[in-house]
Amino acid sequence: MPNTVLWYTTRGAGAVSMVLLSAVVVLGIIGTVRAQSPRWPLFLTTGLHRNIALTTLVFLVLHIVTAVIDPFTNLGWLAAVVPFSSYYRTLWLGLGVIAFELLVAIVVTSLVRGVLGQKTWRAIHWLTYAAWPIGIAHGLGTGTDVWSAWFMVLTAVCIAAVVGAAGYRFLAGPFDPLTTAHTAFRGSVDRREMP
Amino acid sequence: MNEPRLLAGRDLRSGAETYAEHVSRLGPLPRRGAVLIDLLTASGLTGRGGAAFPVGLKWRGTARAGGSPVIVANGAEGEPHSKKDRLLMSARPHLVLDGAFLAAHVLRSRQVVLYIGEHHQMARAAMERAVAERPPHERDLVRVFSAPARYVAGDSNAAVHAVTAGIALPTTLKPAPALVQNVETLAHVALIARTGHATGTVLVTAAGSVAHPGVLEVDTRSTVASVVASAGGVTEPARAVLLGGYFGAWVDYDRASELQLDPTALKDRGLTLGCGVIGLLASSRCPVCETAGIMRYLAGESSAQCGPCFFGLRALADACSRVANQGANAQDLGRLERWASEVAGRGGCRHPDGAVMFLQSALRTFPSDFAHHSAHTARRTA
Repeated sequence: MPNTVLWYTTRGAGAVSMVLLSAVVVLGIIGTVRAQSPRWPLFLTTGLHRNIALTTLVFLVLHIVTAVIDPFTNLGWLAAVVPFSSYYRTLWLGLGVIAFELLVAIVVTSLVRGVLGQKTWRAIHWLTYAAWPIGIAHGLGTGTDVWSAWFMVLTAVCIAAVVGAAGYRFLAGPFDPLTTAHTAFRGSVDRREMP
Repeated sequence: MNEPRLLAGRDLRSGAETYAEHVSRLGPLPRRGAVLIDLLTASGLTGRGGAAFPVGLKWRGTARAGGSPVIVANGAEGEPHSKKDRLLMSARPHLVLDGAFLAAHVLRSRQVVLYIGEHHQMARAAMERAVAERPPHERDLVRVFSAPARYVAGDSNAAVHAVTAGIALPTTLKPAPALVQNVETLAHVALIARTGHATGTVLVTAAGSVAHPGVLEVDTRSTVASVVASAGGVTEPARAVLLGGYFGAWVDYDRASELQLDPTALKDRGLTLGCGVIGLLASSRCPVCETAGIMRYLAGESSAQCGPCFFGLRALADACSRVANQGANAQDLGRLERWASEVAGRGGCRHPDGAVMFLQSALRTFPSDFAHHSAHTARRTA
C-alpha cells in the first residue's frame, strides 16, 4: 500500500533526522572545543560536521514531503511552511516547522559564510542551540512512535549526547588555538601605520 | 629561439638601468589606450606570479568592473627559492614601472603601488631611484608598500588587502577594485606595448644541485634540461625537479628534462611553471625528508583564518614528519592520501590547495621512497 509506505517513510525519516542532527550538533561542539588526536585531526571533524548537516537536510525534506503528500494526513503545503497553521497537532507540528526553517537558515548562511562575514555567520549559527531542542520537542510532541521503546531509547541517547557535549563545552570555557595562532600571524603581517 | 629581452642592455651586475639608458634602448612609452588589452590577449601573455592567468582577460575584467582600480605591482616574492622578481626590480626597474603606468593609463587609475618584499632592500632602492627619475605626472601616482616576509603576503588578495587596509592577509570580503600583477608580467607588458607581439621569454630561478644557481631569462620553448645546462649543469646526478616552487610539483628528472617551459603548455599537462623556480633534487638527498620539511614550512605559513587549512596542513605535516623521522608506516601513508583530498578546496584562499597539490605530487613521484622510508634524521630542505 503506497499510503502506508509514505507514512512509514515520514516517521522513519523523522527519527533518522533526529539522530543525524544530534550528531551534527555534537560534532560542531567537538569542533569548537578543538578536540583532536593524531589519529583524528580536527579538520576531519569539521568536514564530517558539514557533510552530515547537509545529509540531515535531505532527510528532513524527505520527512516533510512524504508527510505532506500522504493523502491520509491531508496537511497541505501551507502547514509545512507557516508555523502553527496546521489543523493537526498545531503546536507540535508548528515547532517542527520552526526547527526546520532555523536549520535551513543555519545551513544557507554557512554556505555563503565568505560573503556574510564571520561575525554574522557565527551569530546565526548559535541558533542551533534553539533549533535542536525545538526539533526534539516536535518529535516528542507529535511523534507517533513516542511510546515505543526504540524511539524512547534513541531520543534519550540523542539528548544525553548533546547535553553532555554542550555541558562540557560551557564548563571547559573558551579555548581556541585557531584564534591564538591567527592573532600571532596577523601581528606579523599587520603594517597599519600607527597614528 | 628568442633572445633575452627583459634582461637585455647593460651588464646585470653593474646596477640598475637608468631612465636615460632605458629610453634610448627601447624608446619612449607608447600610449596605446584600450587597444593594448587586445594586444595582450593576442600575445597570450599569462601572469608570472604563479597562477598563469591570462593577462588580457584580467585587464578586460578590471576595465569592465569600472571605478578607478589601484594598480599593484607585486614584487613580494615570498617564494623561498625564487629570486627573479628582485633581480628584475634591481636591474630593470623602468620596465616594471612602464608596465604599471600602462596599466594605470588603460584602466584609468590614479594609483600605482609597488608592493615589494620587506627584505628585498636592493630591489626597493632601485625601484625608488627609478621612480624619482620619472616625470612628475608618473612619479606622483606611485606609492611603495613593504610586503611582509610571509608566504601568503604575495597572494593577490592579500596584496590588495595590504595596500588598502594595511594587513597582508587574504580575506573573503569584497576587495577594493584593483589590478594585481607580478612585476615580471608588467615588464612583459612594457615590451609587448612597444613591439606588438609576445616576448617569448620567461624568467626562471635555477636552484638546488646546479653549478650556478640563479636567475635566467630563457625562451618559453626551451626545456628544463636546457635551463639546467645554462645554469652550468648538475653538480651530481639529479633525481627530480621541483617545478614551479612550493605550489608547483615534483617531477621525475628524466620526465622533466624534456618538458618545455611554456606556462600554457605546462598547464595542459597538469603542471605549472608557477613562479619559475626550477629546483633540482640530487639523487643523494632524501625526497621524503625534503617534502616533510616543505610541508612543515607551508603549514606554518597558514594565516590560521580557516580551520581546515590550519589544522589540516598541520596534520599532514605531522604525518609526513612521522614517516620522515620514524620510518614508513602504512597508517600514515594512508592518512596522507586520504587527508590530502579532504583539505583541498576548503580554505578561503588557495594556500591549502597549493600545499596539497605539492604533497600529492611528492606521493606520486616518490611512491617507493615513501613506502620504504627508513628512519634517519631529517636533512635540510632543498
